[in-house]
Amino acid sequence: MTLYKSNQYITFIILITLGACSQTRLPTIDIEPIRPSVGDVELNHVSQPPPSNLQIDVAINVFDVRVDESEALEFGEWIFTEIRHNESYYLPYVLRNTLLEANQWGAVRVLPSNDPSVDLQIKGSVLASDGKQIVLHVIATDSAGRVWLNQEYADIAIESDFPADTRYSQGSPFDSTTFVEPFQDIYNQISNSLVEFRQNLTEQQIINLKRISQMVYATDLAPESFQRNLIKDGESQLLSLVSLPAKEDPMIERVNDMRVRHHLFIDTVDEYYASLFEKMQPAYVLWRKYSFERINEELESRSIPYDYQDYGRSGRYLTLTQRYDRYRWSKIFEMEYQDISAGFNNEVAPAILTLNEEVHGLSGTMEEQYIQWRRILRQLFGLEAQTPEQM
Amino acid sequence: MTQKCSTDKSRILQTVSLIAIASAMLSLQAVGQTISDKLPVLDLDKPIRMNFSGNWEKDFARSDKWEDELSRRMTIRQGNAALQRSGIGLRGGPSISLGNISLNKPRRRQANLLDLARLSEYMNRFSTVEIFQDRNEIRVERKGEAPLICSMETGPTEVFSSQHGAEICGWDRQQLVFEIALPDGLYVIQRLSVSSDSQNLRFITSVSSNGSAPFNLTQVFNKYQAPIDEYNCIQTITRGRSCSLRIPLN
Repeated sequence: MTLYKSNQYITFIILITLGACSQTRLPTIDIEPIRPSVGDVELNHVSQPPPSNLQIDVAINVFDVRVDESEALEFGEWIFTEIRHNESYYLPYVLRNTLLEANQWGAVRVLPSNDPSVDLQIKGSVLASDGKQIVLHVIATDSAGRVWLNQEYADIAIESDFPADTRYSQGSPFDSTTFVEPFQDIYNQISNSLVEFRQNLTEQQIINLKRISQMVYATDLAPESFQRNLIKDGESQLLSLVSLPAKEDPMIERVNDMRVRHHLFIDTVDEYYASLFEKMQPAYVLWRKYSFERINEELESRSIPYDYQDYGRSGRYLTLTQRYDRYRWSKIFEMEYQDISAGFNNEVAPAILTLNEEVHGLSGTMEEQYIQWRRILRQLFGLEAQTPEQM
Repeated sequence: MTQKCSTDKSRILQTVSLIAIASAMLSLQAVGQTISDKLPVLDLDKPIRMNFSGNWEKDFARSDKWEDELSRRMTIRQGNAALQRSGIGLRGGPSISLGNISLNKPRRRQANLLDLARLSEYMNRFSTVEIFQDRNEIRVERKGEAPLICSMETGPTEVFSSQHGAEICGWDRQQLVFEIALPDGLYVIQRLSVSSDSQNLRFITSVSSNGSAPFNLTQVFNKYQAPIDEYNCIQTITRGRSCSLRIPLN
């Protein structure tokens, strides 16, 4: 009762404010200011990849989604929060494809979490994403702990990024080979920044990095046997090599065997993300186009003040019904957009379910299956490392 | 020696059985915890609301006719005017004017009662309502109108806002209330309540203009059993509305 009274009071205040504003213009929700864009960025790519011993293996984590608490509480916003979660699988795959196109890296895979077997780990957070803009925070760290990137990137889409032929129909279905990602510039920029950092490393530094990666993986499998090979600098917190086991060391041979098996597993995981990406792409591309159009229309309508000259302000029946109809249609339009957005989530839900059921013999989400796999490998290594007497 | 040995044995047995009991209790507790984790938890913080869900059709006999309601209001107004003329003031003083400028007339233009009455009729032309309700949300669908959607929290919750109007919703005890502010001081309140047996729905629309006395129109709806939809439809983005034939449970 008291609660309701206080709510009534709040309602009253809000409506009094609305009433006061209605004399000139109704209040509107502020659109978040768009951050500076990366602009037009050409991808720095080469025809010849680096020699295999200098190729850096990259893992891109499924992106993290940062949802503002107040945003998640807004009515109907859960639809868009779900979209953000769904695109956290999609966006890293666009970055993965861009890095492969640059032709400057070794294997590039999308994985559910940090992987100890790779040379460079990329983590991304989606700070904002819709048809009009994308803001990502990217952190790239190598196996030695050196931070290559820790930066926010933003890109905005323009009309030409969504050409007329992106309104797909049965007659002109989505074709991934001709499709151009509207926010490709942001991925080109991230790739170029990584290339730039790598170009500052000497060949010896890259070779050392790859050796450190090998030891990090070995330590992950058998810390008691290999952790003495690595040392962490107290000041920089960077890992460096103290020593390397002999090439013929049976333990390191087993580690290398395990690493190969692990790479086969993570290649498979990456393929599952590829499959999800392919299934999601047509729906996601279409949703983003709708989102772009809707944001543009909203920005346009907000830039024009409510014009009483056009709409009239007499209190007669015709004016009143027209005023109500304008409101009714603007709300119907908004609700349809929410339905379309929910339609995107409905459409990708089976694909995400499939992803989480893929690895036979393992259960849970892909992330949980990945953790199980690593645990199995560690146990397997433990068993293989035991001498017959111990067994 | 033999006695000592048997005492030791019994002590060991005691200790082992104690450990076994303790571990069994611990594992039982763990199992209990797992079971309780899987049980659905009733969120007591969420308010319990009346059940509005279902299909509703207008009961024209019990619903207000806008002309009758207008006529009733006009009669009251004429009665008040007559009282005022006879010197019994109901509110405010006599009108003061300077030339042809009225000094104590409201500054903001108010729509007249007839136009407000016709507007409320215009807004209530739908004859059926379908309501979906769960623990989190209620959605009122009316043909040709934007759905009225509200959360189950007491509110107020902002539902929609554009340059053409703003809508908030909330709960006044067991009544669901939507308040819509339209430009130039036009103001609509829609209040929904359901009877205790969930068989009747009252839908009251109040329309006012710049603080005028609202015109209220009450519409009554009866619950009816709509034929079961043969199709199960979901909205998709690439294929539009995608439907499949509902498989009967038997």
